[in-house]
Formats: sequence, C-alpha cells, structure tokens
Amino acid sequence: MGLFSNEKKVDYDKIVDKMLPDAKKEMDESQYDTELGLNMARDARKVISGKLKIEDFHKVYSSSLTKEFGNYYASGDGPDIRKGDGPKWAMVIDLKKCVGCDTCTVSCKAENRTPPGISYNVVMESLEGEFPNIKAVNLPRPCMQCDKPACAQVCPTRATYKMENGIVAIDNDRCIGCRYCIVACPYGARSFDFGESYEQEMQGANDVTSPEYGVERGNREKGKTPIGTVRKCSFCFHRLQRGEEPACVETCIGDARFFGDLNDPNSVVSKLAASPRAFRLKEELGTHPNVIYLR
Amino acid sequence: MANLAVDLKEKSTSKSKINVTLSKSFKIWISALTIAFLIGGYFIVERFFTGLAATNLSSITPWGAWIAFYIFFVGLSAGSFLLSTLIYVFGMEEYERVGKAALFTAIVCMIVALTFVLMDLGRPERMLNAIIYWNVTSPLAWEVHFYLVYIGLLTVELYIAMREDLVRAAKTNSLKGFVAKLITFKNATINAATKKRDHMWMKILGTVGIPLAILGVHGGTGTIFAVVKARPAWHTALFPIIFVVSAMVSGTALLLAMYIIKKKVQKQPIDQGMVVSLAKLMVGFLIIDLGLQFYEYLIGWYGLETEHLDTLATMMASEKAWSFWIVQMLMGAVIPITIVFWKKTSQNVNALLAAAVLIVIGIIGVRFNIVVPPLVVPVFHELPWGNYAPTIKEWMVSVGVVAMGLLIYSFGELLLPIEETSDEVSHNGK
Repeated sequence: MGLFSNEKKVDYDKIVDKMLPDAKKEMDESQYDTELGLNMARDARKVISGKLKIEDFHKVYSSSLTKEFGNYYASGDGPDIRKGDGPKWAMVIDLKKCVGCDTCTVSCKAENRTPPGISYNVVMESLEGEFPNIKAVNLPRPCMQCDKPACAQVCPTRATYKMENGIVAIDNDRCIGCRYCIVACPYGARSFDFGESYEQEMQGANDVTSPEYGVERGNREKGKTPIGTVRKCSFCFHRLQRGEEPACVETCIGDARFFGDLNDPNSVVSKLAASPRAFRLKEELGTHPNVIYLR
Repeated sequence: MANLAVDLKEKSTSKSKINVTLSKSFKIWISALTIAFLIGGYFIVERFFTGLAATNLSSITPWGAWIAFYIFFVGLSAGSFLLSTLIYVFGMEEYERVGKAALFTAIVCMIVALTFVLMDLGRPERMLNAIIYWNVTSPLAWEVHFYLVYIGLLTVELYIAMREDLVRAAKTNSLKGFVAKLITFKNATINAATKKRDHMWMKILGTVGIPLAILGVHGGTGTIFAVVKARPAWHTALFPIIFVVSAMVSGTALLLAMYIIKKKVQKQPIDQGMVVSLAKLMVGFLIIDLGLQFYEYLIGWYGLETEHLDTLATMMASEKAWSFWIVQMLMGAVIPITIVFWKKTSQNVNALLAAAVLIVIGIIGVRFNIVVPPLVVPVFHELPWGNYAPTIKEWMVSVGVVAMGLLIYSFGELLLPIEETSDEVSHNGK
C-alpha cells in the first residue's frame, strides 16, 4: 500500500480543495479590498511554513492595513488592559432560578480538583419563616472577586492580589500560609490546603490536577505547592483563557448563573446588574463584590 | 579605686557562693526544661513534616492555640518592657530590682512569640516573604517589621543596662566574667562620664521604645485583629487598647511571679515592700482592663448584630464557656483582686505570688477567648460552625516552644549579669 499512498493523498487534497470556498469570490462579496486579502492570505501561509518572518509580514502590510481599516486596525497589540480596556469578569446569580441542586458545587470540585475540605463554591440553604408560611432560600456562594478585597488588603506578602480582569488571584508560590486572608474574608470564600487527598477513595486521585491561574503544577504530592497555602475560586481562570465559561455557570441546571464582561454595557451581566432585583452580599462592608444576585 | 577593688573581691566571692548554692536546684531546673524541650522538639519536628494537618484547625477556624500563645507572649514582652521603662525612663527606682530582668524577659518573650508564629505558618520556609514582599496595607506585615526593630532596640538597651556590671564582671574569674570579656571592649571603664552617658542612652532608648511597644508592637498586634471587619467582635477601636492594657497586666504579673520564685529558690531575702507595691500596680492595670472589657461586651451586645451576639454567646454561654468564666474571670480577675485587697493576704508574699501566677494563667484564657470564639462563628449563619480544641500535638509543640524560651532565659541569667548586683541592693536599701 505504501507505494500507492502518495497518489491517494493527492486525491484527498483535491477533495478538500473542492470543499473550500473560492477566496476571490468571497473577498469580492466583502466591502474590503480583494487584492489585499488574497496577498495577505498567501503571505500568512509563508509565515506559518517559516519562509517569512512575522515582523516582515507586519512591515509589508502595516500601511495598507491602516489605509483599509483605519482606526479598527491596531498594530499588533491587544486591548491595553492597564487602561481598563479589557474585560472585567462578573457573575450574576438568579436566586429565583436556583433550585439548590448543588450541581455548581460538584462541577466546581470536579473542574478544579479540589481536595477534601475545600469547596470553592457552596450553596447555603436555609428555611425562613414559620410553618406553613415558609420559604426556602438557596444562596450559591463562589468567591465574590471583590473590587476592594479585604483578603488582598491584609495579605502580608502581596501573594493575593487583584488582576486587571477583576479576578482576585493567589500566587501560591509566594503564600506563606498565615491564613490572615481566611480570617479577613467576609464571605468565607477561602480555604487552607491542609494536604488531604481523595487518594484513599479513588486510585490516581493525585495524578489529575487543574491549572489554577493558568499554572500547571502536575501531580499533587506531599509538601508540594499548593499544599500549605490558601486556595479559592478563580472564576475558572484556566477555562476563561480557553474562551469557556466557569464550570458552575456551564453546568447550572436551571441556567441561574450568567457570566460576562461588566465593562461591556451590552453584555447580559451588565444589563442584569442594573436590574432592580440586583443586590450584592454584605454590601455595607464596602468590598464591592463582582458576584451579583437577583432576588 | 582601692575601694572598688575591695568591692569587686567581695562580689566575686559572694558570687561564687551563690553559684554553689544555685547549682543543685539550677541543675534540676535545667534538666527538667531540657526533657520538656526534647519531648516538645519531637512534635515540632513532626509538625514540620506533617504540616498543619497536625492541628485541629480548619478553614472555618483557621487560627487557634499557637496564635493565642503568640499574642500572649507578645503581650508579656510589651508588658515587661513597659514596666522597665517605669524604672529607666520615669525613675521609679523602687522597682529597680526587676529592671534588667524585665528587659531580658521582654526579649525572650518576643523570641518565643515569633517561634509560635513560625509554627503556625503553612509554609514556614517562606517566612521571609513577609519582609521581601512587604504589603504596606497589611498590619501583619507591619508587625513583623516592628517586632524585629523592637528586638534590636531591647537588645541594645539591655546591653547598656548591663554595661557597668559587665565591665566589673570582666575583671573576675568566673563564668560570667568570661562571657563579659567576650562582649565588652578591652578599654571599657566605669567613671562619672560613662555613667552619665549610659543613663542618657537608657532614657533615649526607653523613650523611643515606649511608642514602639505601645503603638507598634502590642497595639499593632491588636490592630491585626481590629481591622478585620468580617469579625464584628474584633472590629472595634477599643480592641488595640485592651491589648496594651492586658499586656501591662500580664507583664507585671509575670515579673512579680518570677522575682518571688527566684528569690525563694535562691533563699535570698525578698523585698516585701516592692512586692506589695508591684502587686497593687498589677491589680490596678487589671481593673482598668476589666472596665474596658465590660464596655466592649456591653456595646457589642447592645448592637444586636447577629454574628456579634453569636460570638458573645459562644464565649460566655457555650460548652466552652469555662474558659471565660473560670479561667479568664475567676482565676484571672476575681481571686487575684481579692488576694491583693483582702487585709489578711495583702501583705503575704506567698499569697501575692499565687495572685500573680493566677493572673498570668488568666491572661492565657483571655488570649484564647480573643482568638477562638470569633472564629467558631462562621461568616454566614448557614455555613458550618467551627469546633476547635487544640490537639495533643498542638499542646506538645507549645510545651516545647515555651521550654525553649525558659532555657534561653535560664542560660541568659547564668551567663549574663541580669540579676541585680549587691551594689544595687545597698543602693536600694539606703
């Protein structure tokens, strides 16, 4: 078969080529310059195959791109997050839709591989009133990702800090494990990693870990970071980097959770945050949470 | 000069006599401490391998016995230092007998306090991060810096307080003389000019040390708790002040107890006048402390904040309320106040010793009641409540750390002229 394989490959390529849209026809339909698009596509292939340097590519097309796209063309940089141009992540939880099934808690544990005793998300359940006038309240509680986080204020080493995208992060390689942040958090959203493991109940539990804040740490081993440090919900930062929603938002059975960019006035969370039903937990403390509830 | 030489001879002979009488009880004391330190040391080493899983702490109650002991020893240190300033800055010479011991106690207590913090860190090997990556909005980071400056200041002050004795001792042939030779300059002398200079520096260092000890070290330690708005029972402006006042109570009580016990063991005469007056001072501080605590609880209760009420209920009306009513109130306040004011016991040195020891134990209860109850009550009523009592391992580590402190103190007293010399005794007895 080896002898004939070459011929076959050409056939497959042809099939693929037939499937592709005609570049010239597509570009003619758009409002932008056809010639420029075709040339850029050709040179982009050269960049991918290593025949052309990316810097030269930018040099060649920079002036014509500015001419064609004007203000929309940025010279290689993404949005300047230091100017607050980037997203500010926020979550809205509709308490009327929450049924208290704890799927968020379970999916969070599965996603973030949290050890025994640590749950980044919990659902606080309570009954209000006297029977028969009784009402059940389910209050899911992830980390509030406060704008003025009490935890970051008291951390002696600046190991916990506010990221530009609104997430309160922990540098587990710097944390000394003094637990002052746990004491100072008004929402009980932080946990200390005492080093416990599910290895007893599940073989290989230590081999699967989750890349918190984008850091892949490999197997969970005794004495290895993050053991001995403080941990908390990161709005599933590793999933956001892949363009996915946090696990709790994705798995919520009643679609009670919404996630998005609070800096974008057209986002769902921005609109819901402006609803008269919106409130935040312990607002009087001035921490200004980015988890917003709808009563 | 000739007189001085005679003096020195007398002193060296009397000192060697003291050493002889000391040696047996001292040996027993040191071996008991060493055993305690070795047993505790085993658990300290074990703790470094197992991590904080050795404790009963949880994410609901993240601070426990070691933090309580840490603030207890910071309090003892600040209290005994402030007592020493009464002598060296405000000229209350009637307490001069305990002056240098007060300074040395302050240093050793700080070492013990910082060791407790080290035990309590989840990542002890990263402790220097608090200095390298200093977060200026964190009271804890400020405290680490204050503690180091404070220990430095205390060490310099103690050295100057001992300088004359060191220079004298350097000329003798005893163990103290040998150490004194190591830490004094060859041409160090005592004359009117150096006396004046030393006195001036004692006053300057003591004066700088007062705000450092009150605002920096102990008020600051109270601030660590007071800034935490998540825990209403800590979040009051009175809290750092209560810390300072209770530090004065425990510091005075500790020095009084140590002075009496030491004199009894050495079979030396006890200055009853000083003991009675120091006991009055101690109870005076205690009554101020109780008054402040009364307002603290009253206003917290009156505020009707759920978490605050829950905290007060946990402290005063739960199954662990014995620590408040029996240790803090009965042992730490009612009995000692009665002893000091009751005619039959107010002049009795043994009774006053008991009062001082009870107060020191009572303040341990105070420290536990500060740390634990606000951390048993969760930040939301629906979250699980904490249930904390120290494990055997936590207690054994604590025993080891305290034994280490006592060993440092005992050897310090053996090697350095910390006890008052006969010169001072005659000066006081005039």
